Amino acid sequence: MPAESSSLDVLRQLAEEQGVSPSDEDLEAVQGFLTRILPALAELEERLPPETSP
Amino acid sequence: MTLDPLNAFLHLEPQEGPGPTIGVKDVIDVAGMPTTAASRILRRIPERDADCIARLRAVGARIVGKQNTHEFAYGALTTSPHFGPARNPWNTDHVCGGSSGGSGAAVAAGLVDVSIGTDTAGSVRIPAAFCGVTGIKPTTGLVPTGGMFPTSWTFDTIGPLARTAEECVWALEVMAGRPIELREPGDLRVGVVESLFERADPRVAAVCEEALRGLPGRHEPVEIPLHDEITTILQLVLLPEATAAHLHWLRTRLADYGADVRARLLAGLFLPSTAHVTGLRARRFATAEYERALGSYDLLVAPAMPILPPRLDAIPDDYRLLLIPYNSPASLWGVPAASVPCGFVDGLPVGLSLVGRRGEDGTVLGVARAYQRATDWHERRPPLAFDASTREVVYNRQSLSKGV
Repeated sequence: MPAESSSLDVLRQLAEEQGVSPSDEDLEAVQGFLTRILPALAELEERLPPETSP
Repeated sequence: MTLDPLNAFLHLEPQEGPGPTIGVKDVIDVAGMPTTAASRILRRIPERDADCIARLRAVGARIVGKQNTHEFAYGALTTSPHFGPARNPWNTDHVCGGSSGGSGAAVAAGLVDVSIGTDTAGSVRIPAAFCGVTGIKPTTGLVPTGGMFPTSWTFDTIGPLARTAEECVWALEVMAGRPIELREPGDLRVGVVESLFERADPRVAAVCEEALRGLPGRHEPVEIPLHDEITTILQLVLLPEATAAHLHWLRTRLADYGADVRARLLAGLFLPSTAHVTGLRARRFATAEYERALGSYDLLVAPAMPILPPRLDAIPDDYRLLLIPYNSPASLWGVPAASVPCGFVDGLPVGLSLVGRRGEDGTVLGVARAYQRATDWHERRPPLAFDASTREVVYNRQSLSKGV
């Protein structure tokens, strides 16, 4: 629980630094999404041939 | 209050004249009509038509109104919390899909001849399949997107929905500003995406398998390279672009978004700066893999949707995740993809997906036209269909806009 709260606090701070003020409920929804996509992003970064340009 | 029995329209304005009637998804500007994107946030009355609408008007089309959409075209349901859901004319307890949901419903019900929708990751094809009409996401870049409120600059396309492939050809040619050369289906090499048949509701898969038997050409089983990764790649590019387009309102109007769209837009705020670049690199890599593995196929075929349109009160939690593998590949590759009516299950329509090579929109539409010459699924009318005289009653409630 404390780790989860701390993670939400980090997200809230990141949002506020960009001028956005989400609610706890918003942040919980986003946290669930990030938990899924960030590992997939890391895996993709490892698999891409280095010579692939945007 | 709804302007029509399906809540397909957010604004109606009758136009006299002999030309075909056109409804326009409410993220595309029509001069003098409000653009709201089915949101509480956007409300502008543009002085100019979007580029594609100006071309339609120039050939005598009657632009009769603006159509309901998922809020900001950022979802696949058309259940705006602000304007209410658009309903499926085959059974009004069911969703009509989205995000161009009002556009699909209006064509199916006969309220317009052609709807103009947008497709970023399936938003023309999903409502076309769920409403039993023909719809095409053209090759990316074929139709100019000027005057469209963006979802993703990289993936956005504008495409028509109509009862027949021939009507889609007409609208696409006008909007693209050049002829679409239809290919007669002869010696086509057709890739059958078996995994998409296997993942679908068996009743939907059975209808599509039957339709497949009616398609000409040499059929071969194929698989989509990097299929499981495509969902991730699409989101890495799309999410930051959508968030960037909405950043001002995220700062000033956050509470005015519906909860689902707000969550998606906020997600884009927290992705690392590498995400978009990695997404673009992965898109190029995945497209090269597609061209290497499947580039010799004239057409890829699969069910357009894995499920029947769900009830409005029983939308699966994983609805989006179910749909994404069916729509994302063509969006990622930038190739043309159509949904063509091919049957029914429990009175609800099923669509067949036809995906062509980049720039070969005429192959997709040529095969769709040939299929429709041999079948009559596209001629079926839902219980809630309107003939011309009833349609005039709807239009005569003229110059009405839904308010929030």
